[in-house]
Amino acid sequence: MSRKDHRFTESPVLKDQLASWRIHFVSALIFGALLALVGRAFYLQLIHEDFLQERGDARYRRVLEIPASRGKILDRHGDMLAQSTPMRAVWATADAKLDKEQLKALGDLLEMDPRQIEKKLNGDKNFVYLKHQVSPDAAARIAALKLPGIQMDREYSRFYPAGDMVAHMVGFTGKDDRGQEGVELAFESRLIGTNGERTVIKDRRGQIVEEVGSERPPQDGEDIQLAIDSKIQFIAFNALRNAVDKFNAKGGSVIVADIKTGEILALANWPTYNPNNRSQLSGGQLRNRAVTDSFEPGSTMKPFIAALALDRGKYKFDSIINCAPGKMTIGTATISDAHPHGALTLAQVIQKSSNIGATKIALGFPSEDMWTMFSKVGFGKPVGLGFPGEVGGRLRPWQTWKPIEQATMSYGHGISVTVVQLAHAYTAFARDGDTVPLSLLKTKGQVAGQPVFAPETSRQVRLMLEMVVSPEGTANKAAVPGYRVGGKTGTAHKLVGGRYANKYLASFVGIGPISDPRLVVGVVVDEPVGGHYGGDVAGPVFSEVMGGALRTLGVPQDKDSTPAALKVASTPAAASAAQANVPTGAAKKKGAH
Amino acid sequence: MNRLMRIINSPEDQSEVDPLLVWSALALLLIGMVMVYSASIAFAEGSRIFGRNPNYFLIRHAIFLLIGLTAAGAAFQIPIQTWQRWSPWLFVGGIVLLALVLVPGLGRDVNGARRWLPLFVVNLQPSELMKLFVVLYAADFTVRKMNVMHSLKKAFLPMFVAMVLVGSLLLKEPDFGAFVVIISIAFGILFLGGMKTRLFAILILLLLMAFAVLIIVSPYRRDRIFGFMDPWADALGRGYQLSHSLIAFGRGEFFGVGLGGSVEKLFYLPEAHTDFLLAVIAEELGFVGVIVVIGLFGLLIQRIIMVSKQCIKLDRCFAALVAQGIAIWIGVQSFINMGVNMGLLPTKGLTLPMMSFGGSGIFVNCVAIAILLRIDWENRQMMRGRRT
Repeated sequence: MSRKDHRFTESPVLKDQLASWRIHFVSALIFGALLALVGRAFYLQLIHEDFLQERGDARYRRVLEIPASRGKILDRHGDMLAQSTPMRAVWATADAKLDKEQLKALGDLLEMDPRQIEKKLNGDKNFVYLKHQVSPDAAARIAALKLPGIQMDREYSRFYPAGDMVAHMVGFTGKDDRGQEGVELAFESRLIGTNGERTVIKDRRGQIVEEVGSERPPQDGEDIQLAIDSKIQFIAFNALRNAVDKFNAKGGSVIVADIKTGEILALANWPTYNPNNRSQLSGGQLRNRAVTDSFEPGSTMKPFIAALALDRGKYKFDSIINCAPGKMTIGTATISDAHPHGALTLAQVIQKSSNIGATKIALGFPSEDMWTMFSKVGFGKPVGLGFPGEVGGRLRPWQTWKPIEQATMSYGHGISVTVVQLAHAYTAFARDGDTVPLSLLKTKGQVAGQPVFAPETSRQVRLMLEMVVSPEGTANKAAVPGYRVGGKTGTAHKLVGGRYANKYLASFVGIGPISDPRLVVGVVVDEPVGGHYGGDVAGPVFSEVMGGALRTLGVPQDKDSTPAALKVASTPAAASAAQANVPTGAAKKKGAH
Repeated sequence: MNRLMRIINSPEDQSEVDPLLVWSALALLLIGMVMVYSASIAFAEGSRIFGRNPNYFLIRHAIFLLIGLTAAGAAFQIPIQTWQRWSPWLFVGGIVLLALVLVPGLGRDVNGARRWLPLFVVNLQPSELMKLFVVLYAADFTVRKMNVMHSLKKAFLPMFVAMVLVGSLLLKEPDFGAFVVIISIAFGILFLGGMKTRLFAILILLLLMAFAVLIIVSPYRRDRIFGFMDPWADALGRGYQLSHSLIAFGRGEFFGVGLGGSVEKLFYLPEAHTDFLLAVIAEELGFVGVIVVIGLFGLLIQRIIMVSKQCIKLDRCFAALVAQGIAIWIGVQSFINMGVNMGLLPTKGLTLPMMSFGGSGIFVNCVAIAILLRIDWENRQMMRGRRT
C-alpha cells in the first residue's frame, strides 16, 4: 500500500502546496540546529572546559588565610604572661540589608545599639567592620542567624594575665596582632608564626560554599619563655610602687638579674599601665624606663674607679687618700663632699661615698684608661636585650675629656647610663671580674663572661660594697637580714635644661649574697620628695627586693639574721676571712672613720 | 473502508494519542520544574522581594503547571475546527493585549522591558500568548489563501502587514526574542503552505537586512552582539552573563557537579531560572543532562512533525499547518535559547519552552501541546472511521 493510497480526498492543490520537501527542509533545519547545539555543548563541556573552569575559579575561588595563633609569652616557670584567645571580627558587605528584627538580634549579640549597626550598614562602603573581638560563642550565634552579607573573620585577642606588673617587659600587640612594645615587639618574628591557607568557593555575596582541595594548616608562633620569675617580679614591682608612693616620686625602675646566667629575673617600672585596657595611655606610662631612660648615675660609679685603682695595683684596699677638707678646686669648678671627711682608706671612699676621694683616684689615671674601663663594663652602648628604644647612655670619647670632666665622671656626673646598664656592669663585681651578657629569655646553664677586672679586684670591691650597707656606710637601710649584701648608693642631681636642678635621682645597685654572689639588683627612684639620698630612698627597696628574691630562689643564708651579729670586714686579710664566712676583725674598721 | 480498517488495526495506532509526544512533553515540563527549583533556591532565599522563601519559584512554577495542565485538559476538549473559527479573533485579541501592555499605567516594567500585564496575583505576558495565536492565525490564513498562494498581493502582503503590526508592537516593548519567534512562525507557515520559493528567498534577505539595520541602529542590541562574539573581552561588563553561562557549561563536564551543586546559580549567573536555565542544567547535570534536554526537544519536534504528516495524509490542512507551526515555534525558541546559553547566538531574552520559569510561557506551551494532542486524537478518530 503506497502513501498515495491513504488519501481519500484527491485535492490537487493540497498535494502540491503542502509538498513534503518543504516540511522535510524545515525539519532538517531544526534538527541540524539541534545537532549544532549538541556539538557546541560537547566542545564547551568536554574540550574547552579547562579554560572555562579556570575563568570560573578566578571569579569565585578564593584563598583564605587561616591566622596562626601567636606564641605565648611565659615566665621562667611556665606561668602565662601573654596568651592569645581566638575571637571573631564581624563585618558586613554592601549586600547586608537587615530588617528591624534582624538588626535587633544582631545588636543583642554584638552588644551594640541596632541603630548604630544600621548607620554603619547604610554607609556607602562596600565593607564595614561592625565589631572586633567578638567572643566565639556570640559569633556562633550570629552565624546561626544566617544574616545576608554579615561575615566573620578569625582574629585573636591578646590577654595579659599579669597585667601592669610586667607590662613593660612583655609589651603588647596592636589590633592587627602585631607586637608594638616590649618582648611582643622584640621577638615578633618568633612569636608570629605562619598563617595557613585554605581554598574555598564563594558565592557572589561572599558566603563560602565549599572547600577546595586540602588546606595548609597554620604554623603557630613559638612560645617565648622569659627569664622573668613572676614571684620576684611581684616583689620588685610592689617594693618599687611602695617607694614611689612613700616618696611621692615621679617614677622608678627595679631590675633583678641572676649573675650566674645573666637572666633578668625581674624588671619593673613605675608608672605602668594595664596592657589589657590601653584606652588611656600616656607616653610616661608606656616607657620602659629601665632601658630607655639614661641618667647621670652619681656615686654608683665610684666602685668602678676603685676597681680600676685596685686592678692597676696603684692602690690597695686600705691605701689612704686624704679627703680633707671636703672641698677641691679643679680649674674654675669646685668639688665637694656632702659631709667633709679626713683621711679615708680606699674602701672607706666607697663606704662613705667621698667625691673628693674618687676624684683624686681618678685623676691619677690617664683619661683613656678610665674610658677603656667604662667601655668594657658596657657604658656608652646598649646592653642589647632587643627591647625597642633601648639606649646606650652617654660616654664621650676620652680625647675630648677635660680634667674637670674626668673628675666628675669618677662620681657619676657627665656620663649617663640606664639602670639595666648599671646592673650589667655590676655583674663584674658579683662575678670574678667579668661581666655577663644579660638575657630576657630563660637560658640554659652558665654563660661565658667578658673579663674586665682581675678576680681578686672584684672580691675586694664586693667587700667595699658590703661596707656601704653597714651602720657606718651610706646605706644601712639596704641591709638584708640573714644575707650578707653589698651595694652602692647614688644620689644625683638631675639635669634640667642643661643645669643641675634641685631634683634628685636616688639609686642603689647591689649584690648578694657576698659570700657567693647570686643576684644583682638595681633600683632607681626618680625625683623623690622628702628625702633624696640613694641610701634612704632606694636602699630600702633594694633590701626588700634582694631579700625577697634570695628567699624565693632558696639561696642559703650566709649571716645570722640577728642585727647584733653584724660584722663587717675592713682589711684585705679580714676580707679573705669574711669570704670564708669567718667573722674576724670586726672592730678594726671603726677606728678608720 | 477496508484499507482504513487495516490502518486502525495496525498495532502502533492502538492508543488514543501519540504516547511519545505526551511523554517527551511531560518529561520536559517535569525536568523544567526540578531545574527551576534548583536554579532559584539561593536566589529566592537571598532576596527580600521573594520573602526569603527558597520555595518561592517552585511553588509558583508548580501552580502555573497545574493551571497549564488544567487549561490543556480544557483545550483538548475543543475541536480543531473551533480553533480555526476562533483564530482570527484570537489573533486580534492578541494584538489588543500587546497594545495594552504599552499603555502607560497598564503594562508592567521589569528590567527596562514592558512585557507584562498585571492580572491580580499574576502577570500576563501577551507575547507568549501571541506565539500560539500567530500559529493558529497563520495556519488559517494559509488555508484560506491556499488557491492564491502564488500571489504576492493576495497571499503575502496581508500577512506581511499583520506581521509589521505585531512586530512593531513587540519591538516597542521591547521583546526582540518573541519578535524573532513570531516572525519565524508566521513565515515558516507561509513557506510550508506553499509560498513561492523565490519570494521567500527575497523575504529572508529582506528580513536579514532589517535585522542588520535594527542591530546597527540600537546600541542596546549592538552591545549584546559584541558580548556574544567575545564574552571574555569584557567579561565583567557586557559579557558578564554569557561568560558565567559558559563557565557553568565548562564546570559541568560530562556528568555535572550534581543536582543542586551549581555555583553559578549562587547570584553569579543572572536569570538562572528563566533565560539561563540550560546553563544550570549543564553545570549540575553535565553534558549528559544537556543531551537529554536537546534529545527530548528533538523527539517532541519529531513527533509533532509525524502528527502533521498524518494530517496531510488525512487532508487536514489547517491541523497540519498548526502542528508544523508549533514545531517551528518550539524548535526555533528552544534553539535560540540554548544557542544563547552556549554563546552560539547573541544574548536576548527568550525562555526555554516547556522548562523555564514563567507563567504565561508554561500555560501557553501546555495549551499548544493540548492542541497537538487534539489534532493527533482527531487524526486517529478519523482513521478509525469516526467523524469529529
